[in-house]
Amino acid sequence: MIRNVRREALVAYVLIAPFVAVYGLIFVYPTIDMFVLSFQDAPLIGPGEWVGVENYTRLPGDRRFDTAVWNTAYFVLLTVVPGMLVALGIALSISRLSGRLQSLVMALFFLPYILPVSVVYRIWDWTLNFQFGIAMHVFDMIGLDRVPIFKITTWFIPAVAFVTIWWTCGFSVLLFLAGMRAIPGEIYEAAALDNTSRWRMFRHITWPLLWPVTALVLTIQLILQLKIFDQVYLFSQGGRPNDNLVMVYYIFQRAFMNDQGGRAAAIAVVLFVMVIAISVLNFQLMRFSDRRE
Amino acid sequence: MNKFAGMALGAMMASGAQAQETVVWWDFLGGGDGIRMKQMISDFNAQHEGKIAIDATTLDWGLPFYTKVQTSVAVGEAPDIMTYHASRIPLAVKQGLLEEITPEDWSAMGLGKDDYAPSIWDAVSIEGKQYAVPLDTHPIVLYYNKDVLEAAGLLTEDGKPKGLDSREAFTATLQAIKDAGSVKFPLGSVTADGNFMFRTIYSLMGQQDGELMTDGEFLVGDNAGKLENALGVLQEWTREGLQSTYTDYPATVALFTSGEAAMMINGVWEVPTMTDLQKDGKLFEWGAVELPVIFDHPATYSDSHAFAIPTGSDLSAEKRAAVLEVIGWISHNSLYWATAGHIPAYKAVTDSDDYKAMEPNATYSSLTANMIYDPKTPLAGIAGPIFDVMSTYFVPTLNGEMEPAKAVEEITYELNDM
Repeated sequence: MIRNVRREALVAYVLIAPFVAVYGLIFVYPTIDMFVLSFQDAPLIGPGEWVGVENYTRLPGDRRFDTAVWNTAYFVLLTVVPGMLVALGIALSISRLSGRLQSLVMALFFLPYILPVSVVYRIWDWTLNFQFGIAMHVFDMIGLDRVPIFKITTWFIPAVAFVTIWWTCGFSVLLFLAGMRAIPGEIYEAAALDNTSRWRMFRHITWPLLWPVTALVLTIQLILQLKIFDQVYLFSQGGRPNDNLVMVYYIFQRAFMNDQGGRAAAIAVVLFVMVIAISVLNFQLMRFSDRRE
Repeated sequence: MNKFAGMALGAMMASGAQAQETVVWWDFLGGGDGIRMKQMISDFNAQHEGKIAIDATTLDWGLPFYTKVQTSVAVGEAPDIMTYHASRIPLAVKQGLLEEITPEDWSAMGLGKDDYAPSIWDAVSIEGKQYAVPLDTHPIVLYYNKDVLEAAGLLTEDGKPKGLDSREAFTATLQAIKDAGSVKFPLGSVTADGNFMFRTIYSLMGQQDGELMTDGEFLVGDNAGKLENALGVLQEWTREGLQSTYTDYPATVALFTSGEAAMMINGVWEVPTMTDLQKDGKLFEWGAVELPVIFDHPATYSDSHAFAIPTGSDLSAEKRAAVLEVIGWISHNSLYWATAGHIPAYKAVTDSDDYKAMEPNATYSSLTANMIYDPKTPLAGIAGPIFDVMSTYFVPTLNGEMEPAKAVEEITYELNDM
């Protein structure tokens, strides 16, 4: 049978058309709109007067923008690599267990991940409440001064980072476990015959063979944590919101609270560019270190 | 042709008159007051059976509510009627979210300017037009534990706390409660929530005739000093161990109702919490009075719940009449609303003998004469941008981390930077 290439191409176009259309409608068009909006003095809804790059030029002198950038960076620093290490540690421990016990422990570590953010917020807000929190009674018992964790700036971002790792590391644990199961048992067997120590086994077998999974975990976490919003917003309630700002929170504040859609869009563009730049950089670094292995 | 059109119109009107109008209603009344509002709605529905039915939904209070209103108006999915804070009206009008309540509407409801205190009427007016119908005012008051104060000999003959007339006297009262040693905190304060404390601090500014905003500029002239004074008093109480530190809103209420704090500054909307607890025999004897005069004269921050009609839903004449009937009925029957602690805005209700016999409302209703509202700016209002700036500096100041002068300096900078 003679293949009708043009006809096949046509079918292909028809088949992908709905997806392209949806992609264009809910991603490409809003993204372009965001860029356009960032050059306008627009309210939350609808366009505004054209102001050129003013929304951008005022960002460097904007105190709250500074806070948002630093807090986001600090948060990423505290969550991405530490979260990955915690997940790896848990996964290595779980992989030593077997049978029902393994499934049970795995389920227990995964459990927080299925909770909605509002529940996570409630649990930790109750635990660490300055007047009534359980943790504060523990502080009293061991003779420490109570600490208003979510109400002072020193502790806010580290505490939110801790809660985030507690909440989300279950998913990374699953990825690591899947990665470990994909490593053939014969390799370990051969190593064991050579009398290899546990540390060397981890250093020279598990870690390199797990690298693709590690790279995946790091990339997912990095992109996710740069866009942190909900935990920070919830834990800031009533406290010191402007000291706790992160990028997405600041976008939300400008857009929904101050009714400044244009200025919000400019910050969103900055975050968008940041995420792309950091992801590309991250990906290149991973590829580089991959080759070196 | 004309004849047909006329017939069609006639048929439509006839069916309109017969059909029951459903009024879609949104509110944010989630506490004890929400239970009372639901009761009023079901009373209304019972009385208007076959004519008007209210289809009510209660949404999350604060910023989520106002965000939802904005987006729903933009896509034409707004309700027919909604509750609104008077303090948020300037922003809503700037954004074009609210329909004007016209003079015809007012007369259709049987209400008007003379039915409200001037400050309340002014709070819903922008450039001589009204954008909402006030339902109540809800100031903050001083709650107190009569048992504890009596045991410490700090009640006057008419059962009010001693020392409500000056800074020194009130601080002395707090100190005496502390010295008596029967409670953990003399005063339960929402010190972990600057949003809430705005109400107290703004009241204390008002007691010195301070203004937050003057001709579009924030904290001009000696107003900065007045804010500093207000913060200074509260910080002094923290330093002396007279009020609870880093306490959030629910914890404050819990401290008071569990008897660990002898007094509490909170909104009148907590009155149902107290009456309901006491009905179950779970509360001590309590009272509520107007805030103490710390500075020159009495002044209390207040806001109003009001009813507003969102734009963009293009109500038919019948529907609009039904909406106005709802608002009018609720206003005229707002005596029951007073059991939620709020002070009804409709004067005929507050002037009635029934209202004057209600406790503790009667004790604190004198404060309507001393109420001050938010400055009229799109930046003001419940859960608005001013709240965030204030909160960020109030929390460290009230808990002794930051000096009032420094906080005022930062607040002035940030407010004027918005």
